Amino acid sequence: MAKHETPLLDQLESGPWPSFVTDMKHQAETKPEVWDILGQLELSYTDRISHWKHGGIVGVFGYGGGIVGRYSDLPKRFPGVEHFHTVRVAQPSSKYYSTKHLRALMDLWEKYGSGMTNFHGSTGDIILLGTRTENLEPLFWDMTHDLNQDLGGSGSNLRTPANCIGQSRCEWSCYDTEECCYFLTMKYQDEIHRPAFPYKFKFKFSGCANDCVAAIARSDIAVIGTWRDNIRIDQAAVKEYIAGNYPANGGAHSGRDWGKFDIQKEVIGLCPTECMWMEGGQLKIDDKECTRCMHCINVMPRALRPGVDTGATICVGAKAPILDGAQFATLIVPFMKVSKDNDFEELVNFIETVWDWWMEVGKNRERVGETMQRVGLPTFIKVMGIEPIPQHVKEPRSNPYVFWQDEEVPGGFERDVVEFRKKHAA
Amino acid sequence: MALSIEDLKLAILEKATKSPKPQLYIKDFYECDVDSKPRVVKNAANDLVKEGKLMFWSSGSTTMYALKSRIKNEEGAEGVN
Ligand code: HEM
Ligand code: HEM
Ligand code: SF4
Ligand code: SF4
Repeated sequence: MAKHETPLLDQLESGPWPSFVTDMKHQAETKPEVWDILGQLELSYTDRISHWKHGGIVGVFGYGGGIVGRYSDLPKRFPGVEHFHTVRVAQPSSKYYSTKHLRALMDLWEKYGSGMTNFHGSTGDIILLGTRTENLEPLFWDMTHDLNQDLGGSGSNLRTPANCIGQSRCEWSCYDTEECCYFLTMKYQDEIHRPAFPYKFKFKFSGCANDCVAAIARSDIAVIGTWRDNIRIDQAAVKEYIAGNYPANGGAHSGRDWGKFDIQKEVIGLCPTECMWMEGGQLKIDDKECTRCMHCINVMPRALRPGVDTGATICVGAKAPILDGAQFATLIVPFMKVSKDNDFEELVNFIETVWDWWMEVGKNRERVGETMQRVGLPTFIKVMGIEPIPQHVKEPRSNPYVFWQDEEVPGGFERDVVEFRKKHAA
Repeated sequence: MALSIEDLKLAILEKATKSPKPQLYIKDFYECDVDSKPRVVKNAANDLVKEGKLMFWSSGSTTMYALKSRIKNEEGAEGVN
């Protein structure tokens, strides 16, 4: 029996799509507090304002992150959501689980929480939605001691790092994304569990430009696999694709008849830098013009492969639209070797240089991408000790002024005023 | 010259006691000692939380610091996301 009338929410069940309202009503059969979420949400639709109170001091002992405090501002009317805190659970690299582990985790959540989850939240963690303050410590104890699983980051902490499946399953991965993510997660435990910055900070790891963790759109430092030698071409396999013997895109678009494979239209014509052509029955690539976008490789995986001199491109400053507009990360380092062999030394230095600068210069609640926008890219790359390259330029200049630095001008900007005044009266 | 960690902690506590608003951003503590690097100040403030003198106050997206005695209840605030 419904505890609250929810005519507005009920409409959301009427469309052709699965509805969270249906799911929550189902959950309410065993977890009655879920009725109060529905009741409070219905009221928010009528009042056109949220009835959640944000934030607080909830947490577990020793940690300054991982729990996001939420309270109802109508606890008498909706006692089930008087406390309704979110628990961020750190996901393993690539999100590989055994069903046994997932069942154990869900049993724990049935015991201590609402049973509602979000697999996975936008940051990458498992999100356990809704529990009371007094359940937090016992949940944390059982989770860490019995399931060997930790909380993730929240607040002004380093957020739980995330990676694509990388070399565990994908032949395109240009570095070991799982190892890199794991290594940095362990190295920066303090930054993950305790606030460290003016605002949140995220890094994410993709093995190639397909960017399956959307690092370029979601992370303050995006590490995206690439190569600096040439695309490996198997000309015999190219011929098989042209003849229609190999399905394009590994057969991924086979649900519909797209007609005969047309290498000109589907590959060469779509190369963003127009650096491919056919010559004497052979596919040619001018690799120095190639931006390593992965398109041609995605279409003809049996004929084309990334090069062998692999590493990663580092982009900085993506963010969601909360304070300013949404923005993608900006390319800073076109190629960096990323390897466990030297404990990811170059990447670690890069990360810590960004942190030292941003902690000093960044304003409260300002993402590093916003700080970069505020000071300008020329200043940022100078801080990073990086020489400007054409790839840093987004568009031709529209500002006619040329700014010289003191050290770029012979004699600098200092002048002898006494000498000057001898010739120029004040 | 940078303050010793102990003096830095005292300066942080003093700031947390005297500030008009109970909740402070980590950056508000940087001025307790301009010669200490931000990460040193951060570690000192987090140490004070471990010692039970300061506490974290988190909105979910941002974390602030407050003197325990200056925050009365556990409840959240409005208007901070
Ligand atoms: C040999 C002496 C000077 C030269 C060669 C010179 C040259 C120029 C040039 C090329 C511009 C840019 C015009 C444009 O944007 O279309 C300019 C702008 C300007 N100049 Fe001079 N200038 C001289 C002396 C002065 C002096 C003595 C003053 C003031 C006392 C002055 C005040 C300005 C101002 C205010 C502008 C900006 C006008 C605007 O906003 O469009 N200039 N000058
Ligand atoms: C604290 C004092 C001042 C500040 C903060 C200031 C700031 C600025 C700024 C931000 C601009 C725009 C620059 C740009 O377009 O890149 C500008 C332009 C200009 N300022 Fe000032 N200014 C100050 C004082 C003065 C004074 C005292 C004068 C003249 C006696 C002056 C004359 C001009 C002129 C002529 C321009 C236009 C230059 C051009 O676009 O060619 N400014 N000022
Ligand atoms: S980002 Fe690239 S390497 Fe990683 S899983 Fe996706 S296609 Fe494979
Ligand atoms: S990877 Fe992209 S840019 Fe490079 S050759 Fe292929 S389609 Fe062109």
